Amino acid sequence: MAANLKRKRGQEDDPRKTRKLSPPFDSDEENNVALDGTDEDDGEDDNPPDGDDEEWGGIELTGVTEGGHISKGKPKKPPTGVEVREMKEAADLFRSTSFKLQIDELLPNVRPKEKYKPPLEQFLLSLHTFILNVPSSPPIHPLEAARPLLKKGISIPYPIPLPTEDSNWKVAFAPPSNITLVGSWGNKTSVKGMDGNKFGVDVAVEMPDSLLQEKDYLNGRFFHKRSFYLAKLAEAICDKKHGLNVDCSYHSLSDNPRLTKLILEPRPGVTKNDFSKLKAQVCIIPVLSPSSPISLQRLSPSHSNVRSSEETRVPTPLYNTALLTSLTPSSHLISTHALQQEAPALSDALTLLRIWTNQRGYCEGSTPVIRGFEGKGPWWVSILRVLILGEETGKSKQKPLGRGLSSYQLFKAVIDFLATHDFQAQPVFVKTEGGDKYPMEEYSSYHEAVFVDASSRVNLLADVPLGSLDLLRYDAKETLQILSSSSSSFDPFTEAFLRDRRHLSTRFDAIIRVDLSTSKPRQSSLHSTIDHGSPHNALLASMSTLLRQGLGNRTKAVTILHPSSTSRPLSQAHPSNDHIIFLGFIYDREHAFRQVDRGPAADDPNPSHAASFKELWGDKAELRMFKDGRIVESVVWDIKNADDKVHLPVQVTRYILERHFGIEDAQSWYSSFDSLLRLPQEISKMYLESGIAVGFKGALMAFDGLVKGIKALDDDLPLSILNISPVSSYLRYTSTFSPVPLPSKLLPSTPSNASYLHAIPIIMQFEKSAKWPDDLKAIQTVKLAFFEHIAGSLMKSISGLSASVMVGGCGGEDDDPTMEILTVEGWAFSVRIWHDRELTLLERVINTTSGHIAPQPGQNKKKGNGYHNAVAAKELYLRRFIHAPRHHRAISRLHHVFPAFTSTVRLVKRWFAAHWLLDGHVSEEAVELICAFFFVKAGWEREHEQTGSSGGGNVPGSKERGFSMVMEFLQSWKWEEGLALPLYEEGKEEPVQDSKISGEGVWAIRTEMDKTGRVWTWKGPDAIVARRVQALAKATWTHLKSVERGTENIHPMFNHPTGDYDFVVRLDPTVLPRYHQNIRPDLSLLSRRQGKYSNLQSEDADKATVVRPGYDPAQALIRDLKKIYADTFKIFYDPYGGDSFGGVWDATLVKEPRPFRVMGGFSSAPQTVKGEKSKKEKNKTRDLVVLNQAAVLGEIERLGRGIVKSITTRS
Amino acid sequence: MSTVGGFVPLPISYSSSAIHYIYARAHEGSKKATKQLWPVGRTLFLANLPPDVTERELSLFFKPHGTVERSAFSEDALEKEALEESDVDSESDEEGDMEAEGASAEGEATQPKKRRRLNKPKPPQPPQVIPLPLKPLRTLRHTGQTAHVVFLDSSSLERALVPPTKPRPWPTSDEPSGLAHYLTLYDSLRPPLDAVRAYADSAMELYEFEVAKAKQKSKYRKGEAIVDEDGFTLVTRGGAYGQTVGGGVAVASKKFQRTGETSSRNRKKKESKEKTEFYAFQKAEKQRNDLMKLKQNWEETKAKVEKLKASRRFKPY
Repeated sequence: MAANLKRKRGQEDDPRKTRKLSPPFDSDEENNVALDGTDEDDGEDDNPPDGDDEEWGGIELTGVTEGGHISKGKPKKPPTGVEVREMKEAADLFRSTSFKLQIDELLPNVRPKEKYKPPLEQFLLSLHTFILNVPSSPPIHPLEAARPLLKKGISIPYPIPLPTEDSNWKVAFAPPSNITLVGSWGNKTSVKGMDGNKFGVDVAVEMPDSLLQEKDYLNGRFFHKRSFYLAKLAEAICDKKHGLNVDCSYHSLSDNPRLTKLILEPRPGVTKNDFSKLKAQVCIIPVLSPSSPISLQRLSPSHSNVRSSEETRVPTPLYNTALLTSLTPSSHLISTHALQQEAPALSDALTLLRIWTNQRGYCEGSTPVIRGFEGKGPWWVSILRVLILGEETGKSKQKPLGRGLSSYQLFKAVIDFLATHDFQAQPVFVKTEGGDKYPMEEYSSYHEAVFVDASSRVNLLADVPLGSLDLLRYDAKETLQILSSSSSSFDPFTEAFLRDRRHLSTRFDAIIRVDLSTSKPRQSSLHSTIDHGSPHNALLASMSTLLRQGLGNRTKAVTILHPSSTSRPLSQAHPSNDHIIFLGFIYDREHAFRQVDRGPAADDPNPSHAASFKELWGDKAELRMFKDGRIVESVVWDIKNADDKVHLPVQVTRYILERHFGIEDAQSWYSSFDSLLRLPQEISKMYLESGIAVGFKGALMAFDGLVKGIKALDDDLPLSILNISPVSSYLRYTSTFSPVPLPSKLLPSTPSNASYLHAIPIIMQFEKSAKWPDDLKAIQTVKLAFFEHIAGSLMKSISGLSASVMVGGCGGEDDDPTMEILTVEGWAFSVRIWHDRELTLLERVINTTSGHIAPQPGQNKKKGNGYHNAVAAKELYLRRFIHAPRHHRAISRLHHVFPAFTSTVRLVKRWFAAHWLLDGHVSEEAVELICAFFFVKAGWEREHEQTGSSGGGNVPGSKERGFSMVMEFLQSWKWEEGLALPLYEEGKEEPVQDSKISGEGVWAIRTEMDKTGRVWTWKGPDAIVARRVQALAKATWTHLKSVERGTENIHPMFNHPTGDYDFVVRLDPTVLPRYHQNIRPDLSLLSRRQGKYSNLQSEDADKATVVRPGYDPAQALIRDLKKIYADTFKIFYDPYGGDSFGGVWDATLVKEPRPFRVMGGFSSAPQTVKGEKSKKEKNKTRDLVVLNQAAVLGEIERLGRGIVKSITTRS
Repeated sequence: MSTVGGFVPLPISYSSSAIHYIYARAHEGSKKATKQLWPVGRTLFLANLPPDVTERELSLFFKPHGTVERSAFSEDALEKEALEESDVDSESDEEGDMEAEGASAEGEATQPKKRRRLNKPKPPQPPQVIPLPLKPLRTLRHTGQTAHVVFLDSSSLERALVPPTKPRPWPTSDEPSGLAHYLTLYDSLRPPLDAVRAYADSAMELYEFEVAKAKQKSKYRKGEAIVDEDGFTLVTRGGAYGQTVGGGVAVASKKFQRTGETSSRNRKKKESKEKTEFYAFQKAEKQRNDLMKLKQNWEETKAKVEKLKASRRFKPY
């Protein structure tokens, strides 16, 4: 049998091999695919019995030799040839199998539904016959023509320059010479629009040549004729008698009156030809026929076709482009169709591309969209065309793409092209088969960005501002990175196609909202208005240019966003422009915060350079001599503090807007975010006046000084010090407030409720020694002795420094002693000793208490729950001595690479604190990690080392954007999936062994050092709190989104709703030493000289002569309450001077009475029994008790006597 | 008022609206316990005490019923017991040993031995630990704790168990509470340096004494089997070769038995010598398996995407 099998396999093997050798998908042999597939199929079908035989033998054999890899549940039939091909293709031609399957699922969702199409087709047919039968009208003077139409409520959308009474030409109407279905609908590449925008069904109506004359390109004559044609059509179609049952309106692409089209939508409630289910609208676009008498040679960018008396022959490139556009629709249709035939995956690729662009706002939509991308359908196709056909010049680095690529491959090629191409520096000309053209140089000299299509002479990017293209490049870069990243921390498909990425606050480092209604441009030229078609468009174009020029390399992109153009009633001739626009900035982190802008040198041979620099900057420009001896025109920006520096680009923008456009109230909400992280002015003024070093710099200096001081004691100590490592957010730039010391000289002037001094934790490690006792308790004692010794010597060697030993042991779990040091400058540190033997001892306890070994001497004191204590102690040890220093190093490294990172962390911490979650439920480290997720991408460190900056990707450049991104993430985070971030450099450090951390926390934030992701989230947030975080983040996110509607106040995001708490305890702000950190402190309470407490001043002064680092009675009270009532209620509080805290009863306790138990674990009261009958019943079973809420609240009031002011319960 | 689960609820008024209940019952000695910790008949067992109660407050509260001799909280008692138990254990072991020896000796009347024992110099007293100076502070315990209160006479117990007619106010003792408590606690946790030194030195002395004592006492020596009175030999686990532990007959740790590795560090796995693609059937098998795996993955991914589709994920906007 075996031999038999073998032979059969030998036979079977050969065809298989050959099959494998042949490429699975040869692009050139597209048509052979199906044939191939059937061939293979046949091969399989030829000998079905053999196949069966083999299969059985196979399973048996593998079962024996490979240890049963195949489970019974597996599909037993080997895949057929077709299937294999499909699978291989999915894996090879797409990013992954699941990527392909997801694309397949996605595409039908954005395409028009076939079943709704028939009514539209019927409508188009009747429209076709209708339009052909519209009666002609004789030539008539343009202004005269307007009058009868106006009576019917239709105005003719004549663009500027408007026809005058003495115009010597006439407008007329005749049925079109041709009507074609063009655009995406014609090519069947329609993609659903954003925000319920309808599919556009473009109908090109060819104006008969007889209506036109050769000179119609001059002074907008063609556009006037076109407008009249459109108005006439509108008149005919709208006429209710004809029964087309549609509503008509005008719509101008990009608010350009020259590109007005007629929109037809089914009238609601009418059944005939009702295509409203399709969610489509028919657009009627008058076009020129290829044989029109208008001379194409006069339409090249350099020609001047609008002539006014004052200016002579200034080129009108945009006007010319608009005219040329009237020639394009049908040629686009044909060339796209040809391309579709050549590259079968083109339609899918285009659809993917459109989804991608739609999700990023390069489209029409109800939220502000990026300027310049309305109606850019032809361009997206043309990009694919240029990639497939190649460029006209042939100097492109890229080889043309193969025609047989998959949709994903084509899509990725487009993204790659967009990410790398600079349309300004390298104009693109799609390869054509001959035909006359305008000279290439002409395009470059009259347009900013150039992309000339093959089938026409139109520069498709003529009206796209460079800033928008910059943003497009930036977005494409990010997507490219996502697609090529192998990180598992996010789903590339979701990121690329499914997420709406248009939100301003997560997209831009800074946003400015500008109201244009009051703008007065410094140089408004009539000509540019005429070229652009409307003053509004001209204004935006010059704004874009000036901002880009002024900001230079500070930004990677400065983009104008505005609401997309809307359709207007027929009675309105010109589009109404929205006056609110947004400016979005993406900073280049290296240059954004430069304080001096340098211009041309004083001895520049070309004086026009200096003149234009002066024109740009006005009075701000001045000649300066720099250190290197050069004398240069320059602009110096004032910076008062670090916050100002971060907002420099905004400051520059404001200046430009004010100087060139007379706009003074450009709004951005930046200063209000800053104030959240600042101490109240009363307090900060005090520090400013005293002139002591504050902030992170001061804290780090103090730390270094202390390390030096301790190391100097080396001879005095029995063991030498190996290491002193910082583990505090105060020393890694991530504490919400910038750290301040409390020197004794300031103490008398500090109000007692601002006297909190944070004791900064640091860890001290001694050299290894065998002298340490081999017992946990004794180790603590030795630590005490060490501390006592160090404290004594330190005080002797540094006068003014005070040190004390804080004995542990007050709170069970943590009996590790610490030493508190108060330096001369008033900084407080709390030192712990890390002794690595402790871990071994703890592990021994854990291992032995579960085994049968005889306990070691000294350990026998812990029995029963000794095991649990040891496990808890081990977790604490690992977190405190292993993870914390490592985390600290990683985070502080991030600070130097990403300047916006730490301020983002600070803001997010403030948010968590303001919502009573920080510390109690969400640890500071967890916040830091979540924020870091948006900064660190795989390989960031390598990139940083190589280039000195890691600018790639979608890394926020400001804290406001970072904050928004965190909020967006938190509101939709599925925490069960966890979060993984590449925080640490690969291979530099060994991960700690996995520990089974048990806790209520549900968040998992994994790093290389922490595979379980629970180190910093083990105790919280639990599922309930996590949901609460989500709800709060959702509310905050909604508020952030309202920025797009012009909301300026950010405080609602930090207002904590207290309605959900069962009880809220108000604290007395006068006894809270951290009250000055409160999010909304009552400033009158922070001033020392308060009338109300003046009689207590002497007493206060006595108390305040001693600095108590880390003394915070409110925190201590909350900690005690947490422990005492662990099973009774959950407590929520704001660690930053919160003057109230809230509690939520344990839901199981308040739900129903419980039977009485001695160790009930909660404060109970006998249930008052209602009714005799029930009493009997209950007496029989058991006595019931209920949670005694009033008594618990009474106890809280007693425990917090002097701190608690009042308690309010939810009614 | 009726009893709750055999307890008499004693209402205490915190304020006009808040009434706390303490549940009281006469202490009944458990049958199992060899030694009665609490005298039956005059001990009151209390449940659901306020978390910040002090002994002084308890005796103040029960003063109208009679004088309280002593009171103890169960939480503290547990810890204390654990401490004492271990001490008692070790001591009773010694005593037991002595008694057993004594008993066996008695029959044969070996007086000299006993005398010799008596003559032996007394074991050195353990050094006293100089405690850290702690100010009187409230201990805050978990809510709903229990305690035993021992009265001087049994009549007080009966009086205490009479259900009261109306709530009584809760007495306060001198220990600071509230803000003052935290201030005192803060200062108390930072004792003067000389006190710390005294404490640390004396504690270390005690530790060394104990280590020395344990060394003396330990009858377990490395490599010697521990055989109990029934003749069983103690077997312990530890280390790679069972050598890291002190007493008993050693066997290797489970991990070593399982993996054969002495340390937790990963070693490179040896490549298996067996060739996998030697015979044609092996190759064919492999190819087939690859295909099957491919199909399986395909099906799995399909199922996953199907699931995602169900959650309406593919509606991008």
